[in-house]
Amino acid sequence: MNIRFYILRRIALVIPTLIGLSILTFSISRIVPGDPVGLAAGPRATEEIKEAFRREFGLDQPLPIQYLRYMAGLLSGDWGESLYTRRDVINDLRVFWPATLELTTAAVIIATLLGVPAGVISAMYRNRLPDHVARVLSLFFVSFPSFWLAMIFQTWFGRDLGMFPIGKRLPVLVPPPASTTGLFLIDSLIQLDFDTFLISLRHLFIPALVLSFGAFASITRITRASMVEALEKDFVRMERAIGIPYRIIIFKYVLRNALIATITVISLNFGWLMAGAILIETIFDWPGLGIYAVEASLSLDFQPIMGIAILYGVVFSVINILTDIVYGVLDPRIRYG
Amino acid sequence: MADLPAIEVEKPKSARSARWENIARGLYRFRSNKLSMLGLAMLIFIVLVAIFAPVIAPYPEDAAGKTRVTARLQPPSEDFAFGTDKIGRDIFSRVVMGTGLALQVGTVIILLATTIGVTIGAISGYAGGWLDDLLMRVTDIFLTVPALVLAIAISAALGKGIINTMIGISLVWWPGFARLTRSLVLSLREEPFVEAAYGIGAGHLRIIFRHILPNAVSPIIIKMTTDFGFAVLTAAALGFIGLGAQPPTPEWGAMINDGRRYFPDEWWIATFPGLAIWLMVFSWNLIGDGLRDVLDPRSRR
Repeated sequence: MNIRFYILRRIALVIPTLIGLSILTFSISRIVPGDPVGLAAGPRATEEIKEAFRREFGLDQPLPIQYLRYMAGLLSGDWGESLYTRRDVINDLRVFWPATLELTTAAVIIATLLGVPAGVISAMYRNRLPDHVARVLSLFFVSFPSFWLAMIFQTWFGRDLGMFPIGKRLPVLVPPPASTTGLFLIDSLIQLDFDTFLISLRHLFIPALVLSFGAFASITRITRASMVEALEKDFVRMERAIGIPYRIIIFKYVLRNALIATITVISLNFGWLMAGAILIETIFDWPGLGIYAVEASLSLDFQPIMGIAILYGVVFSVINILTDIVYGVLDPRIRYG
Repeated sequence: MADLPAIEVEKPKSARSARWENIARGLYRFRSNKLSMLGLAMLIFIVLVAIFAPVIAPYPEDAAGKTRVTARLQPPSEDFAFGTDKIGRDIFSRVVMGTGLALQVGTVIILLATTIGVTIGAISGYAGGWLDDLLMRVTDIFLTVPALVLAIAISAALGKGIINTMIGISLVWWPGFARLTRSLVLSLREEPFVEAAYGIGAGHLRIIFRHILPNAVSPIIIKMTTDFGFAVLTAAALGFIGLGAQPPTPEWGAMINDGRRYFPDEWWIATFPGLAIWLMVFSWNLIGDGLRDVLDPRSRR
C-alpha cells in the first residue's frame, strides 16, 4: 500500500464519524427541556412572536427535515446563527478560533518541552530520586483545577510581580497584526513586527503555561514508559557493548524509538487542552472560543454550541490523521499492516 | 523401574484462593509504595471529613444558604477559619460540607460510566462482526470531541444542576471504558480456558461474566481510580462555568466561581475550595498511580 492511498483511506474513515457527530450534536440540541425560543424571544413574547421565531429558525419542521437542512447548511458553510446575537456562527468561529488555536498550540509545545525531558530523565534514573521527583511533580500539577491555578498565576505573575500582563492577547493600544493566519505570533512575524511579537508572546505565556500542566503528566509517563521499554532492547545492549557513549545511545537511538508513542499522546493532549482552553480563556479574558462557548451554553444558544462541537471534532480528526501519517512515515510496518 | 517419589507441588486449593493470594500480594506491593499510601491516607482523611462534616463544620447550616449580613467578606479569623463570602457564609463550613458532595459526584460518574462502558465494550469485543463495528463507530463519535466540550453541551441541554452535570459527564465518559474493555475481551476471548468453557457447553453470559470479565477487572479498576479525580475536576469545571450545582449548594467549583469576582482582594473565598479540589484529585491520582504499578507490572519497571 503506498503512502498516498494510506492517507486517503485514513481521511475516508473519518467522514462517517463526522456525520455521526453531526447527528449527535443535532440530537443534543433537540432534547433541550428548557425553552430556548422563549429565552431568546424574551419573557413578554406572545405565542405569535415565538411562533414566528420557530418558523424563522425552521424549528416548526419535522426533525429529519431539520437535520437534513442543518447538514446541508454545514456543508455549504452556513452553520446557523446565534439566537441571541443573530450573528453567523461560522463567522464567529472564524474570529474566535485562531486565539484558541494559538493558546492550545503554545500549551502543547510547553508541555512537550517540559514533559519529554522529564520522561527521559525519569527513565535514565529509573526508580531513583529524579524519577520519583518527576513523577510526584507531574501528578502534583495535573491535580490542580486549571481555572483556579489560572487565577492564582494571574495574580502572582501579573499583579504582584508585574512580570506578565494579566490578560487579553494584546494591550488595547497595540493594534493586532494584519491578519493572515489569525495567530498573532505568526502574523507579527510575517509583518516583521518584532515588538508586537514580543508583546503577544508575553500575553500568551502564563495562560499557555497553566494550560500545559494538564498534559504534563501523561506526556512524562508515556515517554518514561516507552524509554524504559526501548532501553531494554537488544540493540541498546549491543551498542553499549561496542562502546558507544550512553548519552549518544539515549538521544540518537532510544529516544527516537520511544518518541513514536509519545507523539500519539501529544496529539491526544492537543484535543484535551483545546477543551481545557475554554476554562483558561474565561480567566485571562482571552478572546477565543472559551468565552463564546460558556456564554452560549449558559443561555441555551445551541447553534454556537453545535458549531463549536463540530469544529472541535473536525480539528481533532485532522490532528489524528496527521498523527497517523507521521506514524506511517516513521514506521512503515503500520502503513503496510 | 523404581518407584519415583511423588513430587509434591503446592497447588492453590481453588481458583478463589489463588485469586486471594494475588490480592494479598498486590496489597503488599501497594503498601510498600509510600506515595500511594500517602494518597490513601489523604483519601481516608477526606472520607472521614465527609462523614463527620456536620460535626466538624462550625456552621453546618451555611451550606444550605444561611446568611450572616454582619460578617460579610471577613478574612480568615478565629471565628471563621477560611473567612466568609459575600453574604457572610463560613467558607470552612461550606468546604467541609461540600466534601461528601464531591465524593458522591465522582462515585456516580465513575460507576455510571463504567457500567455503560464495560457493557458496550464487552458486547462489542465478544460478539464481533457488525455489532462490534456499529458499537465502535458510535464510541468513535464520542471520542472525536474532547469530553469537556460534549459534557458542556449535554449539561446545558439537560439544564443547570448537579444531577444533570453528573449525567452529562457520565454520558461522555464511558467511551474510554468501552475501548479498554473491548481490547481486554478481544485478547481474553482467545485464551484456552475460554475455549474450554465453550467446549463444555457454557453459555455466552456465563463465559462473559464468569470467565472473561473477572480476568479483565484489574485494568478496569486502575482506570476507575485514575479517572475518579479527573471526573471530580470536570464536574468542578462545569460548576465553575455555572452549569453545574446552583447556589446555595456548597459545590467547590461553583464556590470558586463565586469567589472569582472578589479575587485577589478577598482571596480566601476562591482559594480554599480550590485547594480542597486539589487535595481530592491529588489523592486519587496518587492511589491510581500506585495501583497501576501493582496491577500492571509492565507500567513501572
